[in-house]
Amino acid sequence: MNPRARIRQFIVETFFVDDFADDQSFLRSSIIDSLGMVELVAYLEKDFGIKIADAELIPDNLDSLARASAFVERKRRLGTSAA
Amino acid sequence: MCGIAGFTVPFGLPAEERRVRFGSRLRRMAASLRHRGPDAQRGLLLDGVALGHARLAIVDLVGGAQPMRDPDTGVTIVFNGEIFNYLELRERLGSHRVFRTKSDTEVILACYLDRGIDCVLDFIGQFAFAIHDPRSGVLWLARDRVGILPLHYTRTAEGLAFASEAKALFAGGWRTPALDSRGVKQTLQLWSPVVPRTVFEGVSQLAPGSVARWSDGRLETWRYWDPDFGVEPRAEVDAARAEEELGALLVDAVRLRLRADVPVAAYLSGGLDSSLLCSIAQSQLGGTLNTFSVGFADPGFDERAFQDEVARRLATRHRSILVSSRDIGELLPAVVRQAEQVLLRSAPAPLLRLSHLVRACDTKVVLTGEGSDEIFLGYDLYRETRIRQFWARQPGSRFRPALLRRLYPYLPMSQQGHELLEQFFGIGLDDPKNPGFSHLPRWAASGRIVRFFSRGFAETAAEEDPVASVLASLPARVRGWKPLARAQYLEMQTLLAGYLLGSQGDRMLMGNSVEGRFPFLDHRLIEFAAALPERFKLRGLSEKWILKRLARRSVPTTVLQRQKYPYRAPAAGFLTGVDAPGWVRELLSREATRKVGVFDEEKVARLVAKLSARATAPSEADSQALMAIATTQLLADQLLPPAPVPQRDVDAVELEAA
Repeated sequence: MNPRARIRQFIVETFFVDDFADDQSFLRSSIIDSLGMVELVAYLEKDFGIKIADAELIPDNLDSLARASAFVERKRRLGTSAA
Repeated sequence: MCGIAGFTVPFGLPAEERRVRFGSRLRRMAASLRHRGPDAQRGLLLDGVALGHARLAIVDLVGGAQPMRDPDTGVTIVFNGEIFNYLELRERLGSHRVFRTKSDTEVILACYLDRGIDCVLDFIGQFAFAIHDPRSGVLWLARDRVGILPLHYTRTAEGLAFASEAKALFAGGWRTPALDSRGVKQTLQLWSPVVPRTVFEGVSQLAPGSVARWSDGRLETWRYWDPDFGVEPRAEVDAARAEEELGALLVDAVRLRLRADVPVAAYLSGGLDSSLLCSIAQSQLGGTLNTFSVGFADPGFDERAFQDEVARRLATRHRSILVSSRDIGELLPAVVRQAEQVLLRSAPAPLLRLSHLVRACDTKVVLTGEGSDEIFLGYDLYRETRIRQFWARQPGSRFRPALLRRLYPYLPMSQQGHELLEQFFGIGLDDPKNPGFSHLPRWAASGRIVRFFSRGFAETAAEEDPVASVLASLPARVRGWKPLARAQYLEMQTLLAGYLLGSQGDRMLMGNSVEGRFPFLDHRLIEFAAALPERFKLRGLSEKWILKRLARRSVPTTVLQRQKYPYRAPAAGFLTGVDAPGWVRELLSREATRKVGVFDEEKVARLVAKLSARATAPSEADSQALMAIATTQLLADQLLPPAPVPQRDVDAVELEAA
């Protein structure tokens, strides 16, 4: 499964939501509340083996499925090239 | 306080037929309200109406029996509550009326005979009553201005039935209990149904500040009072004068509420409002005040240090109970049975335990501090609204939304990046004139509960949009008010009347036959506060400014300076951990969930599994969802068929015919 599908599955299972669009804001459309964001971040770090810095906790990186999966892929690429 | 019940019967029936057909229904209704009035239960069968009463004797212990009938006109009343200014009203009427009792009930009768149902405008009090007027054949129902006391009604084949609690309508056989899907959906998102709706099909509630007129098979209701937060602020008043007037009003509000023929005690939460009330009451009682508090085993919720400090300082006779998470789980079935409501928080449970302690100490009446946050802009919601309005004027600002972080230092989310917080609180930012502006982030969060609905229930309730319903219920004038005034109005209609005074207030008090009295909800105080300039209430981000100023002299500095701390109880984690009570396994099972049909059994099972697996406290969203599910299951288990309709204590009800 690609990151987008995996993250979607996590969102569906964790937040009990059925349908949402890839570019729908998690927070503005109440798919996740701000505490849910903590859960999402913990999941991304664990499942994708990345570390997310405080400065990266911004809507551009996390506040939709499309943004979160793009962020994860970016982090993994950077992680690989740095290694 | 008491419980009232009654119903219309056909006019012109022979007395014996009335008794045979309706006597037992009336007795069952009165008996089902025995917790509200353990001192006596009586029923009266009249031509056209049956009236029942369960009495908690507080004023005129001997003479105040009900139903009470005026011998000259036959006008008859059943009354729950208190008219605190009854002595003044009695004096005013005294010249042309002879009083047979010393009760406030007779004063209502006299006032009604004097000026008709408009008499409610003269009352300073908390009340729900029914008056049968045989001269016109009208049955009147009335409820106090802010909804301190409950009053429910339903249409019947014979006309109308009413009662303090829905369970009496069920006991009388007027309704088979069933959930109203719109009412349930509204309550789960707004914390209360939109009046007149309730969570029960066919059961309505009279709106606060309303009277209803039943005549010739028609029901008319209207508001005789509604808070006016749009009133032009007084320009002439300075802080010193406002403080003086507030002090005088509050002292008078407490003075009237200490009137009783039994001792009056007080709840002490350890916050500003109850501390101030206790201080005023203690000085009026000359040092004999008893105070009662809830302490929590979980230090995250416990306020005993502050309670003890205030009690010491005021030298009250103080008692408290210690409530654990396990206790809350075990109390919840009784809480739901009393509240007759689905709940999003566990906070009512400790208050049911507390009223039990009060009663065990032979006390029937307590002062309590509700209402202050609504009228003096104490809630975070108001500060949040002010910041969001400030932000909405320059949506691109980085500085403005950063103020939000100052609001919620006690919630873990404040530790996150504020950009994410902004996303959440930015809901509705593009429409600052929306009448629901203040509440949209909260309602967006609570609205997530719909994703747990079963497919069938979701379809039944598909046409119900709770936010649209509550906004449609707003009077037109409210739309033109300032944002904070609109927020206050919404807060009083939903959270205060529907939840704080109901599920968490009257129901938890009366569950153990204790009457609460609410000085901050004296309408003179509400009107006074509404007419103060906003800066006297919320100054910058400093809440209840004028009240704090007044309290400087009597309340310890530590209490005045502490971070505003809402009363909260441990979250729904107690329903899943090792402390989970026995009923959880049964009522949250797939089978039980499917049977009730409101929630999706698969998702409920996953939520329970998720919360059981984690070591840390659940998120607010998950916690609220589990409370909503658990209390819905409990409500169904306790009140819906096949649960038996209450039948106890029926023989104790004294029945008369006239």
